[in-house]
Parts: sequence; structure tokens; C-alpha cells
Amino acid sequence: MELTQRDPSSKPLRPDEPELDLYTIPSQSSWFLWDEIHDIERTELRDFFDGSSFTRTPKVYREYRDFIINKYREEPTRRLTFTDVRKSLVGDISLLHKVFKFLEKWGLINFSANLGNSNNVSSSSSSSLVVVEDEEDKARVKVEGTIPNAVRVGASPNSPKPISAPPVVGDSSGDAVESGFKLPPLASYSDVFGDLVKQKGLVCGNCGGNCDSGHYKYTKGEFIICINCFKNQNYGENRSMDEFKQIGHAENSSNQGAMWTEAETLLLLESVMKHGDDWELVAQNFQNKSKLDCIAKLIELPFGELMLGSSHRYGNFGGLNGNKNGANQIQLSSSELHESLKTEGQSHEQINEKEQNGDAVDEGPPSKKQCITSLSDAGGSLMKQVALISTMVGPEITAAAAEAAVTALCDENSLPRETFDVDEDYTSNGICSPTTSFEQERVLQDEDSKLMERSTQSETQDTSLKRDDIPLTVRIRASIGTALGAAAARSKLLADQEDREIENLVAIIMETQMKKLHQKIKHFDDLELIMEKEYTEIEDLKDSLLAERIEVLQRAVNAGICRWRDHFAVKS
Amino acid sequence: MKAPALSFSKAPVKFRMPTSANLVPIRLDIEIDGQRFKDAFTWNPSDPDSEVVVFAKRTVKDLKLPPAFIAQIASSIQTQLAEFRSYEGQDMYSGEKIVPIKLDLRVNHTLIKDQFLWDMNNFESDPEEFARTFCKDLGIEDPEVGPAIAFAIREQLYEIATQSVASARESRISKKGRRGTEHATSSKSSGSALDLVKLFGYRSSVVRKRKDWDVYEPIVDHLSNEEVDALEAREDRNIR
Repeated sequence: MELTQRDPSSKPLRPDEPELDLYTIPSQSSWFLWDEIHDIERTELRDFFDGSSFTRTPKVYREYRDFIINKYREEPTRRLTFTDVRKSLVGDISLLHKVFKFLEKWGLINFSANLGNSNNVSSSSSSSLVVVEDEEDKARVKVEGTIPNAVRVGASPNSPKPISAPPVVGDSSGDAVESGFKLPPLASYSDVFGDLVKQKGLVCGNCGGNCDSGHYKYTKGEFIICINCFKNQNYGENRSMDEFKQIGHAENSSNQGAMWTEAETLLLLESVMKHGDDWELVAQNFQNKSKLDCIAKLIELPFGELMLGSSHRYGNFGGLNGNKNGANQIQLSSSELHESLKTEGQSHEQINEKEQNGDAVDEGPPSKKQCITSLSDAGGSLMKQVALISTMVGPEITAAAAEAAVTALCDENSLPRETFDVDEDYTSNGICSPTTSFEQERVLQDEDSKLMERSTQSETQDTSLKRDDIPLTVRIRASIGTALGAAAARSKLLADQEDREIENLVAIIMETQMKKLHQKIKHFDDLELIMEKEYTEIEDLKDSLLAERIEVLQRAVNAGICRWRDHFAVKS
Repeated sequence: MKAPALSFSKAPVKFRMPTSANLVPIRLDIEIDGQRFKDAFTWNPSDPDSEVVVFAKRTVKDLKLPPAFIAQIASSIQTQLAEFRSYEGQDMYSGEKIVPIKLDLRVNHTLIKDQFLWDMNNFESDPEEFARTFCKDLGIEDPEVGPAIAFAIREQLYEIATQSVASARESRISKKGRRGTEHATSSKSSGSALDLVKLFGYRSSVVRKRKDWDVYEPIVDHLSNEEVDALEAREDRNIR
């Protein structure tokens, strides 16, 4: 059972109630019991217990108290007012008010209601300990305050120092935000990348790496190896090539989604204008392009985000991609890029350089040019943000997140893993080096430039375009996914750590208390022992004294001394 | 747990307002030359009498009333104070006395009807506090309502207290030394005393039956201007 500072009597219920609803009361009020009247009640509401009037008896008090508390619990979120209850109770109104205030002060009513209110305008002066438990046991918020004013409770547990829980937003000590919270998944990440992130990757039985773009399943049992292993003929023990069956993504689909002639682009734009968000219809116009391809292409266009009515906010991407596209078309710029890479500086400077290069391009539609300039700032800031986020995490996390994002993106775009595999060496190299995001970006740029260099030597412009477009697009998304995922992972770790620490400390506190109590008990036991011994001693002394007296008397009598006189003398 | 009232007999209590603050409710209703001045407030009887004149002068000055009012106000206050003091030396009835208090008043645009019980022996009761809670629970923002409620309560308590003095005197004259619940039955507002014995006994509950809840629930109405005018006109007509 998890160690929390939970109030053990946060369930003061009648024993016959079938359902157990949880009501929260402060832990100082844990003395409260339905079946009894506690001394605190007797002291504070003396009028009922001094027998001064037949209208004020303990029975009457209990009826008042039980009625008010039950009335409150009918609707714990609503603040019960005195006016609500006084119409239902017979008796002096001032006395009723006193009972009401007493219950409110001790948090037996209006406790959760006060928590729920952002401004605590209650007439009670208590700002007390709160332990709130969600119904589903999701999380625990611990908000602690002070013992209610003007209450001297002898037996109350020591109130620990106030610990403020992270989600509490309140201006005074009495204010608190209610109920549990749980670490939300990074909404931004799941929104943007929800469909891209793959939940679980298959792990190759041989080399232990992810096999996502395709794997080979052993027909005679449960065994999977990735493509690499299959190619390298590492099948594992006693298995031969025949026995593996290929499962996974085809490797020949790389060319499918990437070819977009101008005519096709035009057609795409027209159909989007016509059909809006209905991608099924749009995709129908293209035989060899799937829905996703259309969307991706649309995004890549500089003004693509304007067409898109959906929640995908790839606007920055569009700009960047347009940017990069423009840059790619310059074969000459590759060398300049190289130079820019060598320069130290922020990543956005590199982009700026590229933009300058882009500007120098006369070819290309004017809209693209405009896009480049207008979105330069956005591009810069996005990369900067990605850079910043990546700095906050360690290299292993970054690497893992990068892997996940890359594989996910492969799935989405039906790209062969090779596109990334080729660069993996560079990737891993880059990442293993001291991780500043700056390095990482540089590495990416490195890959880009190397790719481009390679592409200049490859066959056609188109294919080179094709190879570079998608990877770059995808790469950028990969990097952002990385960063956000990494940040999420880290924050989760931190939260977990804090939880553990808190548990630890609580355990220590409880132990110390126990020890203290034990010591006290021992002390009292010792005292008792001593007392008993002394008692027996005194008894003995008494007996001996008595014996002596008798002896003296006896002697006196024997000696024949006059009784009366000596009697007096002996006695006194 | 003690047996009901028969075994109690308290020493008689000297007359005072049965609230924590012994304040006298003073009501003024003076008309001079067609100008009418109505007011209601509480006065502390232990204040020196010189304060009365000072207060009257200040009131007239603040409200810009003709100076003829000063004398009238002062004399009215003094009369009421004297009346209060005339009761002071005497004994009040000291048995069980839980009385119903009814509110039926209009303050500016707010109309209030309410009913509840008040223990005349509870000398720590506080009408002002009750009024505060009332306004807060029902969200009344008009700051004049609270004091009006408190005043109404005090007035009624005052009246009941004077009655109890009278009845105590009677009982002393007529039935010497006899106190207890028999007296309770014969005193005013005895209906509730009867009920008390039943209600607070062993068999029954102090939780009211649901059908009675409406009776004891406060009713607050916010009136429009026309309704206010109409009511005022009717009140004036009634007084004339």
C-alpha cells in the first residue's frame, strides 16, 4: 500500500451503509464518530451538556449534528449555508448557529466545498489539512495548512509543515485547488504527432534492434528478425533462410508518393479548393498518390497551410520545407552550405544563410520566394525551440526519441528505412558527440549537405529532389518529435522521482514518530516498575514499624510501668 | 441526561435584553409640518443621557431637517429609554422560553419574510450576527437590510421580555413561589413551550417534518420600483 499521508478516518460512515462514499475531512477532525460525542464537542458546545435545560441535551445535540452533516453530504460540492438547515431544525436559532459554526470550523461540513471554491469566503477561520483522494485513486494532492484557530487540541497529531503541492494555485493558505491531478501526456505532442507515433516497435530477436520497416517471421515459431539480420544471414540458431517469411512494409513503395509533377501539383490544388478537407475525393484524382501523399505534398507547398483547414499546423514546416526546397534546387549552394556549417553560431543563422542562397535563386515561382523571406523568422524560432528542448535532455533519451520518431515517420511516408539508415552512422556519430542541440542540428545539416552532394552526382534532378524533399521534411518533423518526446520523458521522470522522495520522507517521519512513542512507553514502564518496588518497600517498612511498636508496648507492660502514662507517651 | 424541566427552578433573572449586547431598540416616527422622519436603531442604555441630545442634533444636521426636529427626536428617544429603564429593576420569568420570532419587513427593494425560534434564556444570542449570516447566505447586497433585520428581532425580543416581566409579576402576586412548566403553559407564546416539551422529549425528534420546512424557510423578494411604490402607498394609507 502506498504510503500517503492519508487520513485514516476519511470514511466516517454508518456501519450499515452499503456503499462507501468517500468524504473528506481534515485530519484534525479524525476524532469524529457518528456513534459518539467526543470531548471536544462537549467542551465547545457546553450548553448541551450541562443539563441546564431540557431543550439542550446530548440527544438534541446529536440530532442537530447528524442532520447537518448528512444534509451537507447529500451534496458535498455545494456549500451548505446555515439558512438551509435552520429551517429544518427546531430550537434556539443562536444555538443552532453555534453548532453549525462548530461543524464548519472543524471541517465536518463544507470542507470539500471550500476546496472547490477559488475564493474561500467562508465565515469559518479554519484553513486546515486536506487530504483529497480521487475516486479512481489516480493521484493524491497534498495541501497542508495550520490547525484551526483558537483550538487547543491535546491529542492532535503534530501538524507537519506546509508542503505545497505543485498544482495548487491559491492566494491565501486557505485556498486550494481541488482534487487530484495526473501528469497529462504532453498534449501538444500527441496532437501534432498523435497519428505518427507508433506505440510499440518490434524488436528483432537476433540483434535486439527495432525492426520497423519490415521484419521476417519465423514460420515455425515465435521469432522475428529484422531486415538487416536477414540480409546478413544471422538467423539465429538452427534456422535457415527458407523458414522466414517476410512481413512488413514493401520496399518498393518509395517511389510512389514522391513524384509530383507540376501538372499534378496544380491538379492537387484545384481539387483541394473544390473538396476542401475531403481527402478521399482529392486522392481519387490521383492514381498513384495516396491520401497521405496528397496531404504531405500540400503541406510542403509554401502556401499549403492556407489550404489546409485541419488542425495540423504544419505551417512552419511548409515554410521551412519551401525554404529547403529552394535551397535544394541550388546545386551550387552545396558548397556554400558546407561553409556555413563550419561557422559557429546558432542554427537559425545557418538557415538565414540558406535563405540568402534561396533569394539568389531566380528560378522558382515568386510565391516560394516570398514564403522564404516571410517565414524566415518562424523557421528560426522553431528550430531554436527544438534546439532548446533537446538541450534539456540527455543524449540517450534524445537518441531513443529520435529513433522512435524516425521509425514512425518511415511508416507514415512509406519510406524505406535506408533513407535514414544511410545517415544513421552520421546520426549516431553526431549524437554521441557532446550533445548540444546545436551539434545535432549541425549533424542534420551535415547529412543534408552530404545527401545533396551525393545527389548532385546521382542520375536525375527529380530523383534527387525526391530523395531530399521527403527526408528533410520528415527529418524536421523527426527532430521536433524527438525534442518534444524527450522533454515529456524527462518531466515524467522528474515527477516520479519527486513522488518517490516524498514517500521516503513520509516513511521516515512515521518511523521517527513510532520510535518516539516506543521510547515513551518504555519510560513509563520503567517508572511503573520503580513505583512498585518503592511500594513494597514502604509496606515492609510499615510492617516493621508496627512490629517495633508492639514490642515496645510489650516490654513496657512486662516491666510493670504504669500503663496510662506510658501509653500516652508511646502513642505520641 | 437529565429529566425534563420539572426539576429545574432557576433564580429569577433581572430584566435585560436577552442578547449578548444589552441594546435598546429605538423607533422614531416624527412628523412636523408635513415632513416625516422615520428611523429605527439600537441604543446602548448605559450611554450617558447627554448623548441623546448630541445624537439628535447630529441627525438633524446630517439630514438637513428643520431644527424643530431636534427636540422631538431627543424627547422620543428619552421616553423610550426611560421606559426601558423602568423595567430594569424587575425580574423576568426564568423558565424555559423558546419563542417564535417572525420577520416581515421591507427594506428599500427587498422584502423579507421569515420565522424561527429564539431562546429568551440564551444571553449570548446576537441578532446582528444572525442578520449578517442571513444576508450572506441569501446573497443580499443591500447594506441596509442586515441592520433592519437585527432591529426587527430586537424589537420583538424587547416586547417579549417586557411581557415576561409583567407575567412574572403576576405570577408572583397570584401564585407565590410556583414556577416550572405550569407557568410556562400559562405565559404568552405558550404554544411553543408546549411543543417544546414534546419536541425535546425522548420520543420525538428535533428535526422538523418536511412539510413544515417551508414555514420556517426565509423568503426574500426583490421588488421592482413599481411594487415598492405601491407598497409604500398602501402603508401610508394604513397608517393614516
